[in-house]
Amino acid sequence: MSRALYVCVYAAEFPVQTRLRLHPELRSVPVAVLDGKAPQQFVFSMNRQARLAGAEYGMTKLEAEAIPQLGLFQRSPESEAAAHAVLLECAANFSPRIEDASAGTLPETACACALDIAGTERLFGPPETLAHRLREALHAAGFRTSIAVSNNFHAARLKAASLNGIAAIPTGEEASSLAKLPVGALHLEEDDAETFVIWGIRTLGELAALPEVDLVTRMGQRALQYRTLARGELPHTFQPIEPKFALEEFCDFETPVDQADSLLFVAARMIDCLVTRASGRALSLASLTVRMALEGGRVHQRTIRPALPTADRKFLLKLLQLEIAAHPPSAAVVSLTLTAQAGQSGKVQLGLFVPPTPEPSRLDITIARLKAIAGEERVGSPVLEDTHRPGAFRMGGFASGVAAGAAETSQPRMALRRMRPPVPVRVMLRDEKPATFRDRETRFEIDAAYGPWRTSGCWWSEENWEAEEWDVLAHAGSEALACLLVRDCKRDQWRLEAMYD
Amino acid sequence: MLSAATLRKEIEHALERRFPAALSPSPRTRPEMAPTGIAEVDELLDGGLPIGAISEVTGPECSGRTSLALKFLGCRTQEGHVCAWVDVEDAFDPESGAANGVCLKQLLWVRCGEERRGQMKEGKPWRQLDQALRATDLLLQAGGFSAIVLDMGGTAVKYAQRIPLATWFRFRQAAQRAQCSLVVIGQRACAQSSADVVLECKRAHTNADCETVLSGFGYEVRRERARGLRDEEQEDGFPRRSESDSSRTEATVHSSALLSLPKPGPVSDAESIQTKVLPFALAQRSSACEVNAVRRKPPVSTWSARSAWDREKGA
Repeated sequence: MSRALYVCVYAAEFPVQTRLRLHPELRSVPVAVLDGKAPQQFVFSMNRQARLAGAEYGMTKLEAEAIPQLGLFQRSPESEAAAHAVLLECAANFSPRIEDASAGTLPETACACALDIAGTERLFGPPETLAHRLREALHAAGFRTSIAVSNNFHAARLKAASLNGIAAIPTGEEASSLAKLPVGALHLEEDDAETFVIWGIRTLGELAALPEVDLVTRMGQRALQYRTLARGELPHTFQPIEPKFALEEFCDFETPVDQADSLLFVAARMIDCLVTRASGRALSLASLTVRMALEGGRVHQRTIRPALPTADRKFLLKLLQLEIAAHPPSAAVVSLTLTAQAGQSGKVQLGLFVPPTPEPSRLDITIARLKAIAGEERVGSPVLEDTHRPGAFRMGGFASGVAAGAAETSQPRMALRRMRPPVPVRVMLRDEKPATFRDRETRFEIDAAYGPWRTSGCWWSEENWEAEEWDVLAHAGSEALACLLVRDCKRDQWRLEAMYD
Repeated sequence: MLSAATLRKEIEHALERRFPAALSPSPRTRPEMAPTGIAEVDELLDGGLPIGAISEVTGPECSGRTSLALKFLGCRTQEGHVCAWVDVEDAFDPESGAANGVCLKQLLWVRCGEERRGQMKEGKPWRQLDQALRATDLLLQAGGFSAIVLDMGGTAVKYAQRIPLATWFRFRQAAQRAQCSLVVIGQRACAQSSADVVLECKRAHTNADCETVLSGFGYEVRRERARGLRDEEQEDGFPRRSESDSSRTEATVHSSALLSLPKPGPVSDAESIQTKVLPFALAQRSSACEVNAVRRKPPVSTWSARSAWDREKGA
């Protein structure tokens, strides 16, 4: 059995990283994250540029605002949770056994996880190679991390927290590798830290060199744990978690956004992240739901469903743009959540003898544009309703590539051109047959009237109808018509329903 | 001094890498035809409506234009092609489409114009026309549609003819690229030289079984223009076109066909109706009595046709 081998990933200043992940243009400027409720907000996390500019932890908001060019953001637990899930998901691409190492032992602003990579050499090569690839993957996801590899879980964790880059601790050299770290890296209790200061113990190397029995005699059993930690010998029972695969990205804005372009700018990065995460599992996005929290507490939610699951970022962004343009939010947007459903990548089997059909992704965009032009409910395929009501239909979705299902008709039939809505007309009867009819402008003389065709239905509901249909040939001057006149028997009203053409 | 032919060859040779045969007109080939499903019209058009070109079906209201276009779409969709119907006046009747064999699942229907039809007569239909033209443009650019019908059948001529010629020219180019048959239904031809085929429809007679049953109409279809039907024209006595005369690629011919359409019978779209549909004749005869839960069918159209040109020749 191979020895245990751990890789520890450490992301310092995680609240700031969460912010910068979706705003990479801010990476080169000082940024700090405030925690607490107004007016007691204080600086909770910051990047290196902010530290160099003079920002300090615990500064009040007023003090922080005095620092020129310092960007201040409010802490967002939702964003951090979403980013944490993304980090774990990236790590899960390298090992299924992951332990969340953030809890308890690390500063509150850091995020860490450890991977059990024993037995992955044949997949990813030596541990150093895996560490490099893991760091690159996390970098692509927007995280700046340091990584340490060791046979001891705690040694890897301590080393990762103390460096900036990648370190691999050779087997048996854990103690020497940790020797230069300050004692504070162990997160000692306050009394113990004070005791070590009095003793003059400043590094883990000095702590590891203390005699075990004398140390335990003076400080108790917890000192033994400190010493074993400092020597990189503390055993650990790995507690793997199973990261939930949820394609969700969250971003809240400092000031409400009312420009669609600004919204799409952020959404583009979020879509990038979603597509990358889905692609990591050889999946595509089958649907994308955008949830916008608006000023005033309302929520605006839209869902786009491509004809085929896709991983094309530009295509998804275009669909989202068209959807937002067609259904703009009623107020400025405070926060944006993108949730995607994963699906197997769409495959279209083409054939030499199959008629060409519109490309699914292009057709989606075309239909979205058509809907923007004509209206949401006015583009699609007509579906005849299962009713006897004349002219009943509904609009269904249009999807290309459906096999032809219509039976062949040998004889062409006359077509009707419907008047939507029907035009009310006044009809004069002669021998119980229509003789003339008049719409708002013209009076038509009826040359021949065929009918009546009586129809009724839905007597059990309020939508019941009872009508008399007449096929009418009429003329007004040189204009000749062949039309369908209908008398609503319930209301005793005549209307021009359709023209024969 | 160099002759024109030598000069042309030299220029072509110099531009050969970027523009092959820059100054030589490309050989005009006869376009592929798609049958309309009406034998008489197909015979008139020597196979059907051209693919990758604009065809105009014109005529006054109630002249059979919509029936012809629907039958054409019926044929295309039954072959598995995807089609679109851009409806300026929102007048398309899905039941008539299904009765003519259109597979409705294969049809994308764009309903322009949310205003009332009555208002359109009073107001100006610019918004509807603008929507329809933009929609047609999008569909042509998207590709993959074998036939697109731009239905301007109810639009007044004075509005339809205000559509810029550049639009029709662009549509023609796009239809050619996408190998799409663009059928324009209108009261008059408005695409002018961009249209390869112009048909003019007219109601000829009415078929009635008795005083109460209208069984159909007869229509006359007249071919106003058809590009590419050269052989037939020459046989018919038109002046033989010189091979070097590339400017006369278009021949205007006038021939017609008589068509008669029966009233639509049972809707045959498989997914649509699963209700009790009486046979058409029975349903018509029983119209005077109380018929509950019987779906009314649009009249059937029969297109019995004999070329008027042939008739004249025979006479």
